[in-house]
Amino acid sequence: MFRATIDAYLLRDSVEILSVLVDEIRLRTSSDGISVKAVDPANVAMVTFNLDSSAFDDFEADESEIGLDLTKISDILGVADKNDKVSMELNENSQNMSINIGSFSYTLSLLDPSTIRSEPKIPQLELPAEIILNGTDLRRAVKAAEKISDHMLLGVNDDVFYMEAEGDTDKVRLDLARDQLIDLKPDDVRSLFSLDYLSDIVKPASKSNEVVLEIGQDFPIKINFEIANGTGKVGYLLAPRIESE
Amino acid sequence: MKSNNRCIECKGKKLCGRPRCPILERFASIESLSSKIPKNDSVFGASPPAVFVGRHGYPDVSAGPMIPPETNSDESAVMDSPDEWLGMNIQDIISMRSRLVRSNTNINIKDGLSDNNLILKSQELALSTNPVDTEAWYSKTIENNLSFDSVLTPTGPSATLKKFEITENPNVPKKVDYLVYDTDALAKESVSELINKNISTEHITRLLSIGLLGKDRCLVPTRWSITAVDDMAGKDTLNSIIDYPQINEITLFSGGIFGNHFEILYVPKNYSFELVEIWLPKSVWSGDSTWISADFEGLNGKSKYSPLSGGYYAARLSALEYLLNIKRQASIFIIREIQPDYWAPLGVWVVREGVRQALQNTPKTFESIDNALSDISSRIRTPYPNWRNQMELLSKVKTQKTLDDFIF
Repeated sequence: MFRATIDAYLLRDSVEILSVLVDEIRLRTSSDGISVKAVDPANVAMVTFNLDSSAFDDFEADESEIGLDLTKISDILGVADKNDKVSMELNENSQNMSINIGSFSYTLSLLDPSTIRSEPKIPQLELPAEIILNGTDLRRAVKAAEKISDHMLLGVNDDVFYMEAEGDTDKVRLDLARDQLIDLKPDDVRSLFSLDYLSDIVKPASKSNEVVLEIGQDFPIKINFEIANGTGKVGYLLAPRIESE
Repeated sequence: MKSNNRCIECKGKKLCGRPRCPILERFASIESLSSKIPKNDSVFGASPPAVFVGRHGYPDVSAGPMIPPETNSDESAVMDSPDEWLGMNIQDIISMRSRLVRSNTNINIKDGLSDNNLILKSQELALSTNPVDTEAWYSKTIENNLSFDSVLTPTGPSATLKKFEITENPNVPKKVDYLVYDTDALAKESVSELINKNISTEHITRLLSIGLLGKDRCLVPTRWSITAVDDMAGKDTLNSIIDYPQINEITLFSGGIFGNHFEILYVPKNYSFELVEIWLPKSVWSGDSTWISADFEGLNGKSKYSPLSGGYYAARLSALEYLLNIKRQASIFIIREIQPDYWAPLGVWVVREGVRQALQNTPKTFESIDNALSDISSRIRTPYPNWRNQMELLSKVKTQKTLDDFIF
């Protein structure tokens, strides 16, 4: 069984976080809360998402897996006001979910989880450098890079975290020293990433005051942050590009 | 290395503002190509079968059957089946096609279709797999001439229909019969069912253009329906291969037809597709300079019509068919070099069949993409950097790592 009530804005944020990479998800439920692991079709980026039962106003669930079409949910949430509550209940026999928002009541048909891409294997990575910064700083740097290039370098040198993008003719660089960051565990590393992915990933991350980046040398980047006052945890993992062919 | 040759981008769409395309006109005036059609105001002959819907004046278009005068079923069968033309030369194909009289009636693509006897008869003709004997009467004597186009296969003279009769029963496959009466099925659903039943692309195009598929029946200009079918069939094939494992090795096919040379490279990655077109000087549209352009798509497909037009969708379809046969997915790169031997535009089937033909050859496999590229460059006449620099997707595929690379 699955029955839950949650703030509409929090559900909308959660859908946005996952929609960056996929349109359909396998939602895992348990008595502790909900979780999703998904990888984009090209196998370049993945997301792990956990929302604790305490993030909900009301939560009751068994161990189960539910197949959801994110586009449909985000359409439904279009009618919700910021302060509305959304309540959901799984109808196990008829393979659908009732969703109530204010006086609206929807019946959403579910997807067979076996038709959705299976959960990815998660690479076990030890990444030497760790940077904690404000999400808006990260977003601003990515936006500046987009104007110039389709990829961007993230790295640490001495006690400075830098982001750099180079186009055919132009270049932009942002240096953030230790005192401009929330925390820094330095190491001499750098990796290059495609802005096709990074731009979408930093959008939801920019809402967070504390984004944790873990970087290696030509290795994937981990981008972790919390939502819902720490009751939700989001982790993206993005594979790098190599610097030249 | 992109020269400013608007003729290649336009390919006879008359973007230059001239009332007629001078390049196409040049071919139309080659008298020696057209076989003499008897000067008469009625014809009797077996249609391959073929129908034609024009796009001039859309939504008021001219449409009707294509009939080769005094031609029996045995001779006619080959006339609309490009896969049987590979052993012929360009001249033979043009003179064979020039015998097809485009028999027209003027009609709105939507209004009054079901009351127009000439259209109803054309629809009946389009259903058939085999040639059908027909007889037609025209308002004037037929004049010999030819028409060419970048997507369409050349056709002979056109004449306005007064009366049209089918004089034998068409041979209609069961699935075709069933689907044309299903007015609840969307065109793309019907197309995908027809493909699964091994109905030829030409047959499907015929049904779509003459208004026999889809919920909302209307005539579709032949030029558009050719590309629509290539696109729908391609997407359908893509959906089937998307969950297959990746191809094992970097695999390269090489070959071509009628001065169209193809290099087809499959790389073990998730699906994506890129086509580079190189028009060498003195090939159909290019004039005196080389023209190079490329276009690509990822897993989400394309949202806009490709600037490489119909050839892009035709090449993609044939390349995907190979993956479907071997039950694998891959990132596909095609380099198409058009040589001066391709002196008259034959239609987009040249791309579809050319890729299919190249895929019949024995492939080579390579350790790295760079090795494959250097092998390709030995057969492409254009200098390597000129076309390689256009291949944006190839650069992305070569530089973007995937998460699998980090599972140890």
